[in-house]
Amino acid sequence: MDFLNPAFWTFVAIIAGIYAVFSLGLYVQFSLAGLPNFGHVAFMAVAAYTMAILVVRYAVPMPLAAGAGLVGAILLALVLGIPTVRLRADYLAIATVAGGEIIRYLAMNLPDLTGGPIGSIGLLGPGQIALYNGDWLAFLDRLAGNLSGVVGTRVSRDAAAAILVWLLAGLLVLVLWRCERSPWGRVLKAIREDEDAVTAVGKNVFAFKMQALILGAVLAGVAGLLLALQIGVFSPEDYQPTLTFYAYLIVILGGMNRLLAIPVGAVVFSLLYSGTRLLNFFPLSLIDSGSRAFLRLFLVGFLLVLLMAVRPQGMLGNRRELLLEK
Amino acid sequence: MSAVLLEVERLSRSFGGVAALDEASFAVDEGSITALIGPNGAGKTTAFNVISGFLKPDAGAIRFAGRRIEGLRGDLVARAGLVRAFQAPRVLTRMSVLDNMLLAGKDQPGERLSLNWLAPRRVAVRELEVHRRALDLLELVRLLPLAEAYAGTLSGGQRKLLELGRALMVEPRMILLDEPMAGVAPVLAEQLVEHIRRLRAERGVTFCVIEHDMDVVMSISDRVIVMDEGRVIAEGPPDAIQRDERVIEAYLGRFAPASAP
Amino acid sequence: MQASLHELAQLILNGVITGTILALTGVGASLVFGIHRVANFAHGEYLTFGAYMGLVFNSGLGQNLAVSALGAVGATALLALAVHLLVLKPLRGRGLVAMSLITVGIGLMLRNVVFMVAGPQIRQYDIDQSAVFDLALVRISPGQAVAIAITVVVAPAMALFLARTPLGKSMRAVADNRDLAAVSGIDVDRIGAYVWMLAGGLAGLGGIMFAAVQGAFDPNLGFEILFLIFTTVVLGGIGSAYGALVAGLVLGLVMELSTWSGLAGGLEARFKPILAFVALIGLLLYRPQGLFGRARVL
Repeated sequence: MDFLNPAFWTFVAIIAGIYAVFSLGLYVQFSLAGLPNFGHVAFMAVAAYTMAILVVRYAVPMPLAAGAGLVGAILLALVLGIPTVRLRADYLAIATVAGGEIIRYLAMNLPDLTGGPIGSIGLLGPGQIALYNGDWLAFLDRLAGNLSGVVGTRVSRDAAAAILVWLLAGLLVLVLWRCERSPWGRVLKAIREDEDAVTAVGKNVFAFKMQALILGAVLAGVAGLLLALQIGVFSPEDYQPTLTFYAYLIVILGGMNRLLAIPVGAVVFSLLYSGTRLLNFFPLSLIDSGSRAFLRLFLVGFLLVLLMAVRPQGMLGNRRELLLEK
Repeated sequence: MSAVLLEVERLSRSFGGVAALDEASFAVDEGSITALIGPNGAGKTTAFNVISGFLKPDAGAIRFAGRRIEGLRGDLVARAGLVRAFQAPRVLTRMSVLDNMLLAGKDQPGERLSLNWLAPRRVAVRELEVHRRALDLLELVRLLPLAEAYAGTLSGGQRKLLELGRALMVEPRMILLDEPMAGVAPVLAEQLVEHIRRLRAERGVTFCVIEHDMDVVMSISDRVIVMDEGRVIAEGPPDAIQRDERVIEAYLGRFAPASAP
Repeated sequence: MQASLHELAQLILNGVITGTILALTGVGASLVFGIHRVANFAHGEYLTFGAYMGLVFNSGLGQNLAVSALGAVGATALLALAVHLLVLKPLRGRGLVAMSLITVGIGLMLRNVVFMVAGPQIRQYDIDQSAVFDLALVRISPGQAVAIAITVVVAPAMALFLARTPLGKSMRAVADNRDLAAVSGIDVDRIGAYVWMLAGGLAGLGGIMFAAVQGAFDPNLGFEILFLIFTTVVLGGIGSAYGALVAGLVLGLVMELSTWSGLAGGLEARFKPILAFVALIGLLLYRPQGLFGRARVL
């Protein structure tokens, strides 16, 4: 794709917005409640699969199926959270990684339920192509049409999607901003520092952490649904464990506990990530396009290490307020 | 005639075979200032931990205002009116003094996430009440000028005052203080003593205090409970306890010269 | 009945082989976790690295598997040491989560370097994959034979090393109680470096064994086995080398035997990892010190 092709950048914008929502969910769990959830992508996957299965196999209307997808994410949060939320930080990380892996493993190995490695396209069995986002595309077309009328120039379907996703992301930022400043957010902030002190003044620490986990799961579920709807067909590969660490990178890029920096982080991340597709000059031209994907992942790992080492408070964070570890 | 507010009956708790609490039994009257003393390792802090719900007992019963609370979760015990402070003051250092107080406010609808959106007025009204109460209590413990400072900048004694203020936010009937005078400058220690007396006199708050400083114990307590090796070995008014042989033996007995072969 | 016995014997053999791989790898991971307090999310990639270094020696340099294994062990040990000295040690003290994220980053880097350099295609070692040794009750593939040979040599050597040699004993001491060991005069830093080399070497060995047993492998080898390694470590008790040895064998056997048809049809093979996952969660909840660890203040 050409550097100057607007369709490409619109696509990047959509993905950035989806990652922003995804990272906002992680922010609630990790930055607000101090839960290092290393299996965040599992919530995305469960929401997407639930929605796709309901639409494709049971002809459930999209809004209902999407809602059910979010309920699925909430259920997973309960199942995963109740046993693990009380664990020490690194044990929690291990347990959530394991949880996420199990979800991916199930998705790969229960083809009757999930279509197996082929993914959503195989949900109706072999020989049939399953698609679920017809309604969504039609909705986008209508929206694009309306926007074209308002703005004056032609708004493409993807542009409409990008606008929608970013409006949603913006709204969620505002909502979370308020939540952070509420008494609820205050309790979480205290929990991050000293759980026993919080218990001693009569707050149920476990309940607060679970609420944060569930809220984060819902946001991840929304992101998972949006991703599924945008790409039309998905497989377990689209919800691979590495995505969780994209979110960590985004949260860290913006400064561990800067809510407002997350959209910025998401954009920066997406630019860096997609940008490597385009850089065709030496020495990158030595690496063929197939290997570029691995280079990108390599860079993600590298940035993760670099940021944690050099500037754990991110680009915009405040070192004094750093709440990194227990 | 004051009623018994806290009753501990045959409380037991072991750690890896060592009995920290061994069928300890005692009672604290409402409106009293009761001291809990004993040599190191007697089980006093363990008793506090078990009573306040931070540790589960192996056996025994705890009654608070007539209600059985043994095994109850820590936050539920606090909400029932039995609030504890810690030996090393645990204030939230990355929050302001005022926020520390606001955090402890009781019955805040704003702590239920949904209510912030479904009932914003109710949340705001209660926040205002909690805010006012916090300022009043800060004034009481004379920390009001420091309300906006990070709690991490407070001295040890100031942190203890903050912990006291924070405990009061939870509207307790009884406060458990674990060595409140330890590591506190004498001026602040005097203030603490004065606060304890006044809170009991004016607000009827009951106090149970673990303390090593005998002068403090003698001067403020109505009643003294003595523990040793996980058991209660004596209880009574301070001057009687001071003369009690068993108490003297517990503190000194191990170091006394052998009087018998 | 005969069929069932064959099946049982085969499953036991498979279980022991898988178990040994987990056990040996787990010893290294457990010691590292105990000494450095790092949940090494890159540990799986050390296995991958080992497997591919084996390939370099085997297919690339034409060496037999024994030499290749040695080469892989050495290379992985050096890699682990390098990562420790260059990244982990300087950044020590950042906190549990930060260190975990750093190891995730390292793992990502390692895995994708292998992808870039070696390519994503499936690889095999230079052994006759189609041969099968028929031994009365069981059948063994060449890869399994290699793994068994390695096990027979290395496992007792490892146990002896840990039990008898001063270095082995020091490692166990530091993993069990770092402060106490330091006070007793043990150079904790030096032991810490040696432990990384040991863990790296064992991981490299585990990687070659795993690749040989599976027959075919790709750069995702290690990542897929990562949380089995974690389960082994937790089951055996973090920091307990013997615990990891036992736990690995137990885990391997339990996973294989769970598919035995004699157990009411047995678990379907594809659900084996789920068993491990449930075990992990159960352990973390109810007995985080595992079988042999001390009940530490967490």
